Amino acid sequence: MEQELHSLAAEAKAHLESLTDPGKLEDFRIRYLGRKGQFSTIMRQLGTVPSEDRPRVGQLANTMKAELEALFEEKRSALLSSAPSGKDLTRPDLTLPGRRPQTGRLHPVTRVMNEACAIFENLGFSVAEGPDVEHDYYNFEALNIPAHHPARDMHDTFYVSESILLRTHTSPMQARIMETQQPPLRVIAPGKVYRCDSDITHTPMFHQLEGFLVDKKVSFADLKGVLSVFTEKMFGKKLDLRFRPSFFPFTEPSAEVDIACVMCGGKGCRVCKKTGWLEILGSGMIDPEVFKMVGYDPDVYSGFAFGLGIERIAMLKYGIDDIRLFYENDLRFLSQF
Amino acid sequence: MKLTRNWLQNYVDIEGISTSELADHLTMLGLEVDSVENLYQDLSDLKTGHIVTAKPHPDADKLQVCEVQIGEELHQIVCGAPNARAGLNVVVALPGITLPGNFKIKKSKVRGIESAGMICSERELGLSEDHTGIMELPDDVQHGQSFIEVMGLADTMIEVDLTPNRPDCASVIGIAREIAGITGRELMVPVKDREVANTSKKFQIDIESPELCPRYAARLIEGVKIGPSPWWLRRQLKAIGLRPINNVVDVTNYVMMEYGQPLHAFDFDTLAGGKIVVRVPRAGEDTFITLDAVDRKIDNETLLICDGEKPVALAGVMGGMNSEVTPQTVNVLLESACFNSVSIRRTARKVNLATDASYRFERGVDPGGTINAMDRAVQLLVEIAGGTAEDAGADCFGGRRPMNSLELKISRTAQLIGIELGYDRIAELLQSIGFICKPKDEDTMWVLCPTFRVDIDREADLVEEVARLYGYNNIPTTLPGADLSYPEQDTRRFKRADATRMLLAIGFSEAINYSFASAKHVDMLRLDADDTRRQFVHLLNPLSEDQAVMRTMLLPGLLENVKRNISFQKTAVKLFEVGKVFRPLEENSQPLETSHLAGVLCGSRHGEASPLYFKAEGVDILDAKGAVEYLLEEMRLTENSTAPIKFVHPVEEGVEKFCDSDYSLLVFAGDTLLGMIGKVLPDVLRSFGIKHDVYYFELNFDNICELQAAPRSFSSLPVYPSVKRDIALVVPVTVSAGELLAKVHESREKLIESAEIFDVFQGGKIEKGYKSVAVSITYRSATKTLTEKNVEKAHTKVVKLLTDTFGGSLRDA
Repeated sequence: MEQELHSLAAEAKAHLESLTDPGKLEDFRIRYLGRKGQFSTIMRQLGTVPSEDRPRVGQLANTMKAELEALFEEKRSALLSSAPSGKDLTRPDLTLPGRRPQTGRLHPVTRVMNEACAIFENLGFSVAEGPDVEHDYYNFEALNIPAHHPARDMHDTFYVSESILLRTHTSPMQARIMETQQPPLRVIAPGKVYRCDSDITHTPMFHQLEGFLVDKKVSFADLKGVLSVFTEKMFGKKLDLRFRPSFFPFTEPSAEVDIACVMCGGKGCRVCKKTGWLEILGSGMIDPEVFKMVGYDPDVYSGFAFGLGIERIAMLKYGIDDIRLFYENDLRFLSQF
Repeated sequence: MKLTRNWLQNYVDIEGISTSELADHLTMLGLEVDSVENLYQDLSDLKTGHIVTAKPHPDADKLQVCEVQIGEELHQIVCGAPNARAGLNVVVALPGITLPGNFKIKKSKVRGIESAGMICSERELGLSEDHTGIMELPDDVQHGQSFIEVMGLADTMIEVDLTPNRPDCASVIGIAREIAGITGRELMVPVKDREVANTSKKFQIDIESPELCPRYAARLIEGVKIGPSPWWLRRQLKAIGLRPINNVVDVTNYVMMEYGQPLHAFDFDTLAGGKIVVRVPRAGEDTFITLDAVDRKIDNETLLICDGEKPVALAGVMGGMNSEVTPQTVNVLLESACFNSVSIRRTARKVNLATDASYRFERGVDPGGTINAMDRAVQLLVEIAGGTAEDAGADCFGGRRPMNSLELKISRTAQLIGIELGYDRIAELLQSIGFICKPKDEDTMWVLCPTFRVDIDREADLVEEVARLYGYNNIPTTLPGADLSYPEQDTRRFKRADATRMLLAIGFSEAINYSFASAKHVDMLRLDADDTRRQFVHLLNPLSEDQAVMRTMLLPGLLENVKRNISFQKTAVKLFEVGKVFRPLEENSQPLETSHLAGVLCGSRHGEASPLYFKAEGVDILDAKGAVEYLLEEMRLTENSTAPIKFVHPVEEGVEKFCDSDYSLLVFAGDTLLGMIGKVLPDVLRSFGIKHDVYYFELNFDNICELQAAPRSFSSLPVYPSVKRDIALVVPVTVSAGELLAKVHESREKLIESAEIFDVFQGGKIEKGYKSVAVSITYRSATKTLTEKNVEKAHTKVVKLLTDTFGGSLRDA
């Protein structure tokens, strides 16, 4: 009888293995596991087994049946789950895409400008905007750039008339604000600026953010502090910063600020021209001449100013390699931000 | 400014300082290194060789078969150069080497004779245009050596991007001085300071415009022999990208690069009267031929160098053809001068010529360095071109000025930089690059400025020097003290941000276009001749016709954006822009700048939303109107009773010429025109290259910002339920939905809470010329639950009013 049990178990297992049609499951159950099934038939013969073997054989039969029942349940759930039936037929398909409203995208220049303004506003700077079409005086003279000064070569200027031009930087706002307000001042001036220059790295119009702070005892170290906070918040991490002596007629000392290349981490790559550094803004201590022109006493007040190119930062932040993309307003571009 | 390591090494010992350290020093001194290049890398595989034998080629008259010794090996090379001869040291390119111009050297047979390489001419090496024969190396050159090493070509070029305030560093010595200062090494210069006696018997200098020429010095060298410069000089000039010309010109260029003092050499025998006159043009002198053979127009402010009769040079810019040094020149007058920087800049601009000389004069040349540079050049000329220099010369100097002496406050310097600094440290820093410091009182020092630092004339300039030499990166990082005043804010900025947010929410993406545009746009839009938007602010120097005027409206830019998107298969376009438009006011004054807000709509209403859920339907004029309504409502401008918002369908008057008059609306707030909404005419769109329908709105955003926003205030929530009743009225098609709604409100029936159109239907069972308009009216009382009777009474009254007014009939529900 033991023999029979073993061969029956083997046969049933093989049969179960080969089952693929869930409709045949019930047939299987009746044939092997049902009250009139083959296991029951064998079990009924237990009485014929010698009494000393009976408990052992009985236990063996029970174990085998239980094992087969477990396998059957497993098979049944495997086969049933792959075919819809009953409630499954009305269950919704939640893998379909959600029904989304169509919303627009903010231009990346505005996005970066807003971020930059927010950082400085949180540091207590107020925001002022000025005219795009400026007086020569505010764009140059008031910033210590007299006519026929080589520093004018740094600005390829669009002129509208002899003394009216498209501002080449947002710095005229320094003079405009200081002319009408008294220190302490903490101001940023965002806006469009213009230079007659057009290639893969220059567009004739771009955006700058000017910032300046005037008070008693403002130091170059303070400038470093404020700009360190800015770059950290703007690029989301503490980046190595390098302040490099430079020249702007309206600041003295002047500094260009480089950040460790965001592309290669400072190791040197194509974007940073293998230097490991990226120039992101110009800055410095406001030149005493600028103070004198607005009637501040340079022996009493000091201050710093900085100007940064928004497109430049957007290009670095987002990995944009052609500045002209900003002004084509191609939705394939705009929708990426 | 370009220089090389080897050149720099002449004036400051840079042994042991790597090129990258050197570049870092320079950059951190404010002399930004733009590029570093190892020179002649393409010639690095070439070897020196020694021609052992040179025999005629058996089958060719002009060829020789040379045996060339290169180290241990002997190579047979066929050579066609007339100067190939036994005993000559030469440059050899062995097979496998590629010469400049991608010229690959291979083993070959020349008329049956094996030739294993090539003996090179200077032209083949890219060193000069000389191809008359092979390059002859000096006799003492060993064979089998690296050619570029032996001949001193192996060098590193460093290019520095100079800021306009540092003309003193437009010279190798200037840069060496900075390096010497930062590394604490000694600066070595080739000639000692001395004076030149102003007593030449052979020529005479006459300065008529002393204000434009503070100093003019010259010396005469007689009996020079013009010829090519020696190798070291040519090599040095070539290394920084200058073309060697002849020994005299090359010396002037070399010394200009060395000292930063531009020099000019005249052929003395061409100078009429043996004299130099520095002056502005006389009547009739209105053109001048510079030595690049261009006849240039000059004006009466151009400073000229003249002889006894005529101009011979544009001062500080370029010499003249009539007096240039030629192969026949024997006597040379060497000029070393200092010119007014503004004057030189004017001239350079005027004649549109930027030279190495004008670059330096425009920025300022050291008036104290005139003689040193001249002496150095004379020394080199005599050495290289022979001849004898008259010991005396000319030095017309409006009086030697003492070194500029400035006061520097020690505490102020420390405070401005933000560090602790005392007298000793400051003096040490400044003296490292040639300043002289003396204490004045406890907190003040005297600083004498060297004459080459033309950029330093104020205390602030000295503070910068201190900070720069101290090292910007050694300055600590602090934050300024707090000032908690709350500054006034520009509310227009907030409103612009609000409007932007709203438009993004309803599917418009933000565009930014150039503020300048093409003047043709207004023609394409068919604006009337007297339309104010035709009055442009013109750019005097536009980059192109397409960017020649400041824009007067935003629509054209947006239409160009639509065109671009459609051409890249994005046909569902909703874009908006908030930006300025410009209108000229008075002559030579700033124009009026007004902010506009404009939007364009084209293609599918639901954009790229899945067609699974959203029916593909095109936008129409009501989408544009809806956007504007939404915007004005969200800005809380629609409940203002003093300036109620009205959408007016213009008849004739007020229709934009580029709009379909049936699809055109004017938006008013009270009597103030806020802007337009419309459908752009297909013909107009075609001129922008667009074949699809485009709807637009353009609003004066400044006017919108002026409007008073309704305050937010709470009204109690209704306690009693509302009752909705619908009416379907069949009215003539000419009756507008707006009129119907207005009438409902006019009924003054108190129970009406709101009314809205929920269906408009034409055709089907509706008689031609009529339409069915379905209105849903909500009734509510604030004091009780409405009964059927209450509602019926009010509703009947409204229905009667409507049917009486519009002659319509009630349609069966």
